[in-house]
Amino acid sequence: MSTATTAATATAPRRPRLSPAARRVLLVAAAMAAVAPFAAAHWGSGMWPGALTVHLDGPLGRVNDWIIDNRDSHWLFLYFFGHISNAVVGAVRAVYVVLLALGWAGVTAGASLLAWRLAGVRAAVTALASFAVCGLLGMWVPTMRTLALMVVAVAVSVAVGALLGLAAGLSDRTFRALRPVLDTMQALPAFAYLLPVVLVFGIGVAPAVLATVVYAAPPMARLTALGLRGTDKGVLEAVTSLGTTPRQRLLTARLPLARRELLLGVNQSIMMALSMAVIASVIGADGLGDRVYQALSTVDVGAALAAGVPIVLLAITLDRTTSGLGQEGHNRTRTRATAEWATAAAATAAAAWAAHGKTWPHGLTVHIESATNRAKDWLVDHLSHGIPGIGGTADWAAHYTGWVLDPLRTALQSTPWWAAPFVVAALAWAIGTWRTALTSAVSLALIGVLGRWEPAMDTLSQVLAAVAVTLVLGIAIAVAAARSRRVERVLRPVLDVFQTMPQFVYLIPVVALFGVGRAPAAAAAVVYALPAVVRIVSQGLRQADPAALESARSLGATGGQQLRQVQFPLARAELLLAVNQAVVLVLSVVIIGGLVGGGALGYEVVFGLAQGDLATGLTAGTAIACLGLMLDRVTQPTKAPAHKEDA
Amino acid sequence: MTNAGSSTTRTQARTPAQPPVFSVRNLWKVFGPKAGRVPADEKLAALSPEELRERTGCTVAVRDVSFDVRPGECFVVMGLSGSGKSTLVRCLTRLIEPTSGTIAIDGEDVCGMDKGALRSLRRHRAAMVFQHFGLLPHRSVLDNVAYGLEIQGVARAERRAKAAEMVEKVGLAGLEGRRPGQLSGGQQQRVGLARALAADPEVLLFDEPFSALDPLIRREMQDEVVRLNRDEGRTMVFITHDLGEALRVGDRIALMRAGRVVQCGTPEEIVGSPADDYVRDFVRDVPREQVLTVRRAMRPVGGLHETETGAALAPATTVADAIEAVARTGTPARVVDQGRCLGIVDFQGLLNVVAGLDGTQQEPGPEPGPEPGPETRLEKAAA
Amino acid sequence: MTFRRKTAVATAALGLLTVAVTGCGAADMTRQASPYANAAGAKTVTLSVQSWVGARANEAVAQYLLEHELGYRVDTVQVDEIPAWDALSQGRVDAILEDWGHPDQEKRYVRDKKTVTDGGELGVTGHIGWWVPKYFADAHPDVLDWKNLNRYASQLRTAESGGKGQLLGGSPSYVTNDKALVKNLNLDYQVVFAGSEAAQITQIKQFAKDRKPFLTYWYEPQWLFNEVPMVEVKLPEHTDACAEKGAADPSTVDCAYPTTPLRKYLNAQFAQKGGKAAALLRNFRWSKADQNEVAQLMAEDRLSADEAAKRWVKRHPDVWKAWLP
Repeated sequence: MSTATTAATATAPRRPRLSPAARRVLLVAAAMAAVAPFAAAHWGSGMWPGALTVHLDGPLGRVNDWIIDNRDSHWLFLYFFGHISNAVVGAVRAVYVVLLALGWAGVTAGASLLAWRLAGVRAAVTALASFAVCGLLGMWVPTMRTLALMVVAVAVSVAVGALLGLAAGLSDRTFRALRPVLDTMQALPAFAYLLPVVLVFGIGVAPAVLATVVYAAPPMARLTALGLRGTDKGVLEAVTSLGTTPRQRLLTARLPLARRELLLGVNQSIMMALSMAVIASVIGADGLGDRVYQALSTVDVGAALAAGVPIVLLAITLDRTTSGLGQEGHNRTRTRATAEWATAAAATAAAAWAAHGKTWPHGLTVHIESATNRAKDWLVDHLSHGIPGIGGTADWAAHYTGWVLDPLRTALQSTPWWAAPFVVAALAWAIGTWRTALTSAVSLALIGVLGRWEPAMDTLSQVLAAVAVTLVLGIAIAVAAARSRRVERVLRPVLDVFQTMPQFVYLIPVVALFGVGRAPAAAAAVVYALPAVVRIVSQGLRQADPAALESARSLGATGGQQLRQVQFPLARAELLLAVNQAVVLVLSVVIIGGLVGGGALGYEVVFGLAQGDLATGLTAGTAIACLGLMLDRVTQPTKAPAHKEDA
Repeated sequence: MTNAGSSTTRTQARTPAQPPVFSVRNLWKVFGPKAGRVPADEKLAALSPEELRERTGCTVAVRDVSFDVRPGECFVVMGLSGSGKSTLVRCLTRLIEPTSGTIAIDGEDVCGMDKGALRSLRRHRAAMVFQHFGLLPHRSVLDNVAYGLEIQGVARAERRAKAAEMVEKVGLAGLEGRRPGQLSGGQQQRVGLARALAADPEVLLFDEPFSALDPLIRREMQDEVVRLNRDEGRTMVFITHDLGEALRVGDRIALMRAGRVVQCGTPEEIVGSPADDYVRDFVRDVPREQVLTVRRAMRPVGGLHETETGAALAPATTVADAIEAVARTGTPARVVDQGRCLGIVDFQGLLNVVAGLDGTQQEPGPEPGPEPGPETRLEKAAA
Repeated sequence: MTFRRKTAVATAALGLLTVAVTGCGAADMTRQASPYANAAGAKTVTLSVQSWVGARANEAVAQYLLEHELGYRVDTVQVDEIPAWDALSQGRVDAILEDWGHPDQEKRYVRDKKTVTDGGELGVTGHIGWWVPKYFADAHPDVLDWKNLNRYASQLRTAESGGKGQLLGGSPSYVTNDKALVKNLNLDYQVVFAGSEAAQITQIKQFAKDRKPFLTYWYEPQWLFNEVPMVEVKLPEHTDACAEKGAADPSTVDCAYPTTPLRKYLNAQFAQKGGKAAALLRNFRWSKADQNEVAQLMAEDRLSADEAAKRWVKRHPDVWKAWLP
């Protein structure tokens, strides 16, 4: 603990009735009061002063040029990155060739049988239907490309993640070192990962796979480590008492006992990989994401939908199959399981042979593009304006921009630069530790140092507004879901589906409804973050101690009173978690919103990629990472019981 | 409660000359920063737990403990939670590394063993049964029982056959294919017991094995342990916080408080001659007549006529049984050992025992004083 | 201790294995085709698709001819203009069909590295500028001179532009001098970036539908002119001196955009070994009217690229027959 905390604790008894949080806020306020006059006198009170920024554009631009000039000659590229790149491309190609050789019948049959063996009949039907629809929509080849990329990326992510997780699970020191890194990576928007790999590998499939791996490996590593560390101490001791070697302990006890976490890790890795594989179309990943990207850049909602539907179906299929892992087949004998696998393999081979390894037949496709576009045009014509009473989507977008976003942005941008880090630190310290407070303040300051203060405040205003909307809607829905079983039953499958969607997909409908600008980005962000918020809050409300609720009811509390005075206070931890999740998720979409006119930092990344101006992109990417880190830490309630003692 | 009596018989039947299985001397376990300095420094060692925590941040779990476990006996370590008994039993196979002191198994130094020797000790010589079973939830009953053999590298067919035998022995035949989660607590602990037995260890260590079970099941399991001890002559170290259980299964009991052994002796000695007020408090509610034997109630033979009349009782007969015999005949009974009359029990003597007025007149009881050395205590217990 | 040694041995073994697998050789990732190219026995040409519809029209017709006349398989990848040069150099893309002039890239890849070759002119000339809708220009003819723009700033105000007039900025992938122009010409305008061309088109169409005035960065040839007639605002004349100044420091530009003859570029290796496909792409040359026809079919009539190309190919055999090798 820092001396600051000790000081605060020491003076505690003398101060009358101040909560620890209030004490900390006061402390930060005092520090700010001390610094403010000096800072204001020296550099003024507007936005981050130019004197305190570092310009990295020059050096970064030179690094970029150097890499491009030396990519075909320097040993670092020839003997290291080159092999990585070639191995990735070779692997993707191998998988793709196999998928093509299997043909549409083979792949569909294989996927369904795999789903059946892993997760049961329902998953198999889902897989069958999904692949059939992909074919019907004329998206067979892009689907196979995305699948090939995914197979490689997921395999590498799971391997890398499992190894890291193993190291962190077995060694305390590694765990302590790795944990903050993994936590941070989980809070960063996908977009921030794209630029570094492009810098080294250029545009193409290899960097796309690598970005995907970097994005998808952390959950696997995290869950593996947690699973291994969470092994029942009693079991571990019993196993040790029988004279096992450490290796035997790992293989026969710790890993099998961590099975649930490992499978969850695989599932999460797959879902993250899909999300990233789609976004990586911006750096040349090809496949379904590329189709969406192409369609979005021409506002062809129909084409975007035709490519978006297979992504959604792929997501559902992958999720159902992998989250159902190990649910069935527990009690089957080994021979029977082998026989079933053999049957499945044989059926796949037969289907592949029967279809002669062809891609989806041309005649068997349905074109939904023009119909969708007509529907969209109708929607825009009829919903964008003049619905009596409530206006239209375009009106909402305008009002949201004019009445919410603009004032907020002005307010943030006119906050004195020296005050912002202190405000952030105070907020973070109020619910977290001095560590989170320091991290968030430093992150914010770093944005200023990088010279991205203005766009960062713009992005921040969009995030805050969208988070507010998300929380209001999310908590309202969660309350409804927690109070009525029926609402919950209806909501659950919807949330399940929404939570597995890649972020990219949400951009399609919002562009149709809200046009272009910051409002659609906000709408997409709200829709993307809503499921997680609803789920966490409703779970928190439901888990409220039934005894406490019962006693409140026995005292004659009304429904509202129960909610306000019992359920919400008891669900405090979940509410804080919901805020944290909302912030992280909203930020990731607001950034992608740069593709549909969201502007600010997201736009700068897109700009950097589009112009090959990686210096701009990397600076913006770093600023995004800092913003993400700051937002995550500010909203992260501490889990350590460290400050219980001074309460 | 007849078992307590018979276990006394068992102990007496064995020759005390055999070397001990476990021999523990001056064992310390201190948790906390720089734990090693506490036992080494006399001043620190003399501090009370609270003072020590204040001064060094260390907690003492086991404090200068010495005892021997003899072959074939069931040695019970009893104490309330936090008394250090569970730490003590884990120190025996170094599941917890002792801070100082020596442990020997069959004369071999355990603390000096390298990893391989220690593993071999755990695999073949001492197996443990845990309070929360410690079963592997993803394995069947049979595979759990065979686990110990599996890690020793025993071939599949052989270990499964052996495991099946053990499963049968603990009365779980027919449940081999189940998983631990599908069993009741008692059944799970039977699996734990079978697993420990599968490697045919020299010593069985029990760490509060039955405290998580229902009373009825607990009793069944206790009988099972007594049977194992008596029939197979297995040496056992049994940790419990339940005095009744200690008296039922134990040949000798070491009573622990705050890391120290406050008294070590047969159940009869513990109940009949508590070493201090703490122990006395502890055993207050024990039905004395069911634990104490006629040895404690008898008086010297008064006259020759007394050696001829009255019922003949063995020295290990409990007071409860003696009361029955004396009440039935209406005359004092004789205590006879191998044809020799040791003494006479009459109403007066029996009532004194039941009323707890026998303490002072008994000579074999240990003097209530501070910390008799282990040596002397053991001698007394053996007498 | 033993653990350390084991780790060391394992690391060494892994290192050796890596070396063995990679065959100690160099791996040049700058000559690495797309993993999807030439799979399953097909000969593949990978074209870079740019986001604007004119480029898509080129690509649609080229794809149609390559597939139906020459029997190739065509892959299209969306890459922005400048990264496309890098991708072209690496061979991940075989050809760019419409380049609006990137002297830096041309120097680096065509002249220095020689990994890209010039594929000749497309036949279309491109021009960038600022435009207002015709209905607005008709009502206020003097808006067409940049000197008068400040007078109309208040009419061009939107939610996004704050207190200033809104200048709708171009897609991030285009070369724009708008911010510099606004600053250097002292205009009371805020450049608002739509984020993508599609976004910009949507915005423009929405404005046109509501008959609202707007000022936008735009370019021709562009099919949107057929739907939303626009008139260019005259900016200070483009001079070589101004261009040179701008090349040195883009923030000093204070004159109009240049007029560019659009060019095609091919990957050097593809140009040599690409056979008939490379020859066709090199011969590909058509007029502004041709391009707009296809672009309009795609963007306005919502035909698929394939269908639009098919119609054009049917109507203009005289044009494309000459391209065939």
